[in-house]
Amino acid sequence: MKNTFKALFAAATVAATSTSVQAEEEVNVGVLHSLSGTMAISETSLRDVLLFAFDEINANGGVLGKKINPVVVDGASDWPLFAEKAEELLTVQKTAVTFGCWTSVSRKSVLPVYEKNNGLLFYPVQYEGEEQSKNIFYTAEAVGQQAIPAVDFLLEEGVKKFYLIGTDYVYPQTTNLVLHEYLLSKGVPEENIGGGIRKDSAGKVTSAGNYTPFGHSDFQQIVADIKKFSASGDAAVINTINGDANVPFFKEFAASGLKSEDCPVVSFSLSEDEFRSLPAKQLVGHLGCWTYFMSIDSPANKKFKADFQAWLKKTSVAGVVKDGRVTCSPMVLSYNGVYLWKKAVEKAGSFDVDKVRAALQSGISFDGPGGKVTSQKNHHVTKNVFIGETLENGQFEIIETIPNVVGEPFLKGTFQKK
Amino acid sequence: MQKLHQVTLTILFLFSIVSVSSADTADKEARTLLSKLILGEKNKQESALDALDGNGSKIIETFYKVGRVGDVYKSANNDGSFTVFYKDGEFYYNLLEGNQVENPGNLEKVRLGRKAKKKLSKLADFVYIYSPIDQERIDAVYKFGGSQKPEFVELIRTNIDKQPNERLKQAFQEALEISLLKNGAHEEKMNALSYLGDIGSSLSIDFINTLKIDSETLLNETSEEAVKLEATALIEASDESLEKIEAAEKTKELVQSVFFGVNRGSVLLLVSFGLAITFGLMGVINMAHGEFIAIGGYTTYVIQGWFAAAYGVDSAAYQWYFVAAVPAAFMVSAFFGIIMERGVIQFLYSRPLESLLATWGISMVLQQLIRLYFGAANVAVASPTWLEGNLNVGGYTMAYNRLAVVPVAITVLLITALLMKKTNWGLHIRATMQNRLMASSIGIRSSRVNMMTFAFGSGLAGLAGAFLSQFDNVGPMMGQTYIVDSFMVVVVGGVGNLIGAALSSLGIGVVGQLLEFFYGSVMGKVGILFGIILFLQVKPGGLFTSKSRSLED
Repeated sequence: MKNTFKALFAAATVAATSTSVQAEEEVNVGVLHSLSGTMAISETSLRDVLLFAFDEINANGGVLGKKINPVVVDGASDWPLFAEKAEELLTVQKTAVTFGCWTSVSRKSVLPVYEKNNGLLFYPVQYEGEEQSKNIFYTAEAVGQQAIPAVDFLLEEGVKKFYLIGTDYVYPQTTNLVLHEYLLSKGVPEENIGGGIRKDSAGKVTSAGNYTPFGHSDFQQIVADIKKFSASGDAAVINTINGDANVPFFKEFAASGLKSEDCPVVSFSLSEDEFRSLPAKQLVGHLGCWTYFMSIDSPANKKFKADFQAWLKKTSVAGVVKDGRVTCSPMVLSYNGVYLWKKAVEKAGSFDVDKVRAALQSGISFDGPGGKVTSQKNHHVTKNVFIGETLENGQFEIIETIPNVVGEPFLKGTFQKK
Repeated sequence: MQKLHQVTLTILFLFSIVSVSSADTADKEARTLLSKLILGEKNKQESALDALDGNGSKIIETFYKVGRVGDVYKSANNDGSFTVFYKDGEFYYNLLEGNQVENPGNLEKVRLGRKAKKKLSKLADFVYIYSPIDQERIDAVYKFGGSQKPEFVELIRTNIDKQPNERLKQAFQEALEISLLKNGAHEEKMNALSYLGDIGSSLSIDFINTLKIDSETLLNETSEEAVKLEATALIEASDESLEKIEAAEKTKELVQSVFFGVNRGSVLLLVSFGLAITFGLMGVINMAHGEFIAIGGYTTYVIQGWFAAAYGVDSAAYQWYFVAAVPAAFMVSAFFGIIMERGVIQFLYSRPLESLLATWGISMVLQQLIRLYFGAANVAVASPTWLEGNLNVGGYTMAYNRLAVVPVAITVLLITALLMKKTNWGLHIRATMQNRLMASSIGIRSSRVNMMTFAFGSGLAGLAGAFLSQFDNVGPMMGQTYIVDSFMVVVVGGVGNLIGAALSSLGIGVVGQLLEFFYGSVMGKVGILFGIILFLQVKPGGLFTSKSRSLED
């Protein structure tokens, strides 16, 4: 009742002031994530952190004196719908910028829309690279900022055999192809790369690793294969399984008697957020590699975590889960994106996409919760990379920090076999 | 002064060796060292552990087990020193003294470094190699053998004869031969190769390959005739035994795939048996079957939460939550089944297509209700300790949480068969399913029979959900992953035939696993769907077509 009254009052005020003033005071910003369907589990958190960032900015005076007006649309885990919604954001809502997408296929489906309308999209989730659009900024981890440092770490630990496993779609397939080349370049012989390698008639490797369908639940064969592979010791598993198929995988892995001390699994799609639905005790000692961990001990991160929890308590946005919330890398990369855009707009002195892009390309820095990030000319972001070990409480203990890793999307074919 | 001190210490030390048994000394030494390590610097943990090589005290294994999951603590004493405690199960222990204590309070968690954990896991193998559990011994001795370190050769060799059974003896022998591939003299290497080839040791493939490559390098580098001769012999022997192993391996993996298939088949049977009753017997196209599975899974989750709240997650009682959850999952799903049957289904028995639409709607409503109540994210269900681990028979391993499904599926099948064939109730069910009007006209309360049958079918789905929660996700979409499989099983088996459902789930399971074994899991899934389409072209009625003179059929 009280809210209705407030809304009526607000409407009356808006009606009283002229609409043109209203338009000048606000800038439309799009949020394009799946709030229903299979991807809702992951993407809803990004919507939450974006709204939090907007509120934070609005409380501090907005961007160029204008308040951010979030336009939230639901991609519903339906890739063609993502393209339609993107079109709506750009042509009907006239958003200055969009923050959104999780899966690579959703990004690929909106890319032509942004290029056609000269829009601006910030993409926050680790991805396979091999792409660079003038209309997209990738705050995400590129392969070189996640998979490569993780493999370097394992090689340093004395791992000699690598088993590649993933869900059958573009991100794991491409990442594993790059890793296959990288491992060969590091002197790992081909027979020490497990999971199966497929070659075309010309002998070119077309696929490396063992792949399962989305939502796969029977990992008996694969775990038996890993057990055999790791029997001679010094083996590790590189896991690019996406989503909830990780649960049966790790349950089977633990049940087979394999321990992280014998054969560690390094996962690229499991963050603190996913651990909420995993029995973390079975994952103890396995590794994660991200450009942010909730356990980072820095004043910026402490403030970010506290402010986010405070925002969760007081927010009235429908559908925001308030209890047991954690922060994770895709969330922080979304948050960083908002601030990079804000700084770029302020530097350009305009919301115009071309001017903002030029400002971003010139190198904008922001001290985020995971440390300093700087936008690059190639639309990727330089940032710190962390390697963490899973604890029984679903958090990561940071065991290695690699500062200021440059984001480079085109890695395939750059590593030469020794 | 210091010298004198050391001498006294040494004398004391010697004295203690004489006075107490060496096992006690080792235990004391291990406890002292581990306490020191916990109170010292984290990055020095690993090097400190070197002193425990070959110690083999039970405490090392316990410490490793609790340390890796963060159950080691230090607590400040009044004088500023610290005491180290660890928590095993629900109880606290003083590490140095070894006695059980009340929760000392004021505990500060101390974490082990990654390298220290790895080192500890190796030290724990000195304990496991004498473990009363066969499998732990076997895993440990394989690690000793696989490390191919010369210092472990004697440890393995001397222990072979002490093993109580053939299985252990063979494992120790195998580990020894693997180690000898590197550490043995030429003759020993040759013997090891022929032994490993004969037993088809899949573990040794990598080691034999290494030996072969090393021999080839040696052959190229050396000029001595004798060495050349030996290297050539080794290469030939390696090839021969690799060939034997690979042949044995193929058969073994094929057999293992069949086992996995039986297991997958049992899961499918459990999942689809409820549908075989509600769809197969009753003719209700129940699209909400998957959601009854999810209800079973969530019931398990809720019961787990209750046990955790009432007894604490570390207690022994908590481990039995699953025993309570299984009947509860059955009851809760059956209850929802009754509501659904009374509320919607009973009006639609003569209109199967409308039952499809109605139940599809109900399935979406149930999914959304689960989302509203439990949230969109999946929930975590942990297996009780007695369902963790795996059974290893003759080199074939299978996880207990999956294995448990096989006897349950068979029991469900038997109970249902008895119920249908031997009880009055079963007679009534069969009569009602054949002809509702006729059954009610001879005095069977067909509406009640319908309700109870539907509840039984839904309850079985709940039961399946409880078991699925042990090795799969529990989430709002859980049912959707199984609904297609369930219909597949029932249609292939022949609608209305319970034995057909059992055979078709077994068939789909085994064929699916074999396809996965040969072509990978993606092609396996494609292959099985394609196979079913072809099968239904040939036999549209499924495996067992119910013969009937009725015009409808």
